[in-house]
Amino acid sequence: MQENRVFNATLWASLFIMWLVSGEAFLDWAFTMPDIGRLDDALLGLVAGAENAKAALGLPDMFQALQAAIHAATGLG
Amino acid sequence: MVFPTLQFVLFFALVLGLNAAASRRLAWRNAVLIAASYVFYAAWDVRFLALIMFVTAIAWAAGLAQNDPRWARAAKIGAIVVMLGVLAACKYFNFFFVSLQQLLGDSVLSRDLAWLRIVLPVGISFYVFQAISYVMDVSRGEAAARRNPGDVALYISFFPQLVAGPIVRAADFLPQIDRVIRPDAAMRAGAVVLILSGLFKKMVVANYLSVLLVDPVFGFPEMQNAAGALLGVVGYAVQIYCDFSGYSDIAIGVALLLGFRFRRNFNQPYRATSLRDFWRRWHISLSSWIRDYLYIPLGGNRGGAVRRTAVTLTTMTLAGLWHGAGWTFILWGALHGLGIAVERRLALLQFRRPALVAGAVVFAFVTLLWIPFRAGSIQTTLEVLAAFTRSQGISPVPLPVSVLVLLALGLAMNWLPVGWRDRVEVRLSGWPPMAQAGVLATGTAIMFATAQEGVAPFIYFQF
Repeated sequence: MQENRVFNATLWASLFIMWLVSGEAFLDWAFTMPDIGRLDDALLGLVAGAENAKAALGLPDMFQALQAAIHAATGLG
Repeated sequence: MVFPTLQFVLFFALVLGLNAAASRRLAWRNAVLIAASYVFYAAWDVRFLALIMFVTAIAWAAGLAQNDPRWARAAKIGAIVVMLGVLAACKYFNFFFVSLQQLLGDSVLSRDLAWLRIVLPVGISFYVFQAISYVMDVSRGEAAARRNPGDVALYISFFPQLVAGPIVRAADFLPQIDRVIRPDAAMRAGAVVLILSGLFKKMVVANYLSVLLVDPVFGFPEMQNAAGALLGVVGYAVQIYCDFSGYSDIAIGVALLLGFRFRRNFNQPYRATSLRDFWRRWHISLSSWIRDYLYIPLGGNRGGAVRRTAVTLTTMTLAGLWHGAGWTFILWGALHGLGIAVERRLALLQFRRPALVAGAVVFAFVTLLWIPFRAGSIQTTLEVLAAFTRSQGISPVPLPVSVLVLLALGLAMNWLPVGWRDRVEVRLSGWPPMAQAGVLATGTAIMFATAQEGVAPFIYFQF
């Protein structure tokens, strides 16, 4: 039970870190979501607000850097 | 919503948390999983929910009726007819309608009746087969009829396997919803290995082979020479294996993290030494479903050679039709049936071949039959076959070395020693949960970074 809590918490923390260092990938995803009516504006506002706060931190887009490095090394992409 | 997307990652992170929170009480846990499964399915098209609920209601009612000998047989047959009717209407109506139009030519049917076209609900072939499995297993006494419709709803709609299998048997699944199983270290390790191997197969091997090799060959077969056609066809054999077994791996891994165990769906199919062996290794959940609920009831191995051949041909042709509403799928299934019948005949004549030769023959036969499966039309099938006779034309060689490496890797997965994954799982199960989760998160990020932009849908979604 305790181990599963640690496992899940680590996954959520990783997801948060991924969001922090992945540029606008999450924002792009939010805009491609199907329209869910009245909730849509609120959700998009929340995501945009969080993205603005993240942008203010000036963190690098490490995901894109990793992607570019892998694609350059493998010839894929 | 498909697995290798950010959308699913966020969805699953949420479900994982809710599942853990609700695990104190069985009813809550099951309610969370039903709600999550319906949200997952509604993300495709909310209208599809009505259909899956209808199929669930039919299966639940027919299951209950099995407790009453007066109604059991009629309810079973009625439910199966209705469920197959739903499948036929949604999946095959357009095919038969267009075929009839082409046959009759300029007649009343040739008017524009596009409004009759029915949208194919994703995953319908899989969940209808699961619903039939429930009714059959209850009728045979292999599973108890459920009074709670939520139990049947969860069995039919459980999101990890809802849209592309594996087709889980009621007798295997239902006991697992009667108690909460919290994943232990071994289950978590198994899930990590399965999810990462599935993502690699799908996002890296299958998708790149599709875009860089297979699609150009099948898109322009008239421009290919023999080398190009050969690479394209072998590429497709690897692509479909990695695409589908990758999906199954992710599905089984995701289910493990929720506390559910599914059986393996693929077992290195291209190392099969006979066609029957191939079908024991490829899409095992479908093969065993067809064997138990179609082949054996039709007569199976009983009767003489002619009867057995007829049953095999019928079964495999129907298996082909299950894969898709089109003549190429029917041809694919019928030729597999014919191959199995010939193989059986040769075995009777005590025709023996070394295992290596037998394996090569089976691989060549199976790969050749992927042509109509992928081509989409008989004409394209013939064009790809014609390319094998040409020395002139464009060849995809030189391909990027990485594509050839992926091709080799995809093939090698079929011949790697079977114990390697078990050894990795055993080692990983000794790691602390934080490290296990770290491996899953880091590995997933690397797979997403390696993949191409955009996501190609899983091949089996169309079935």
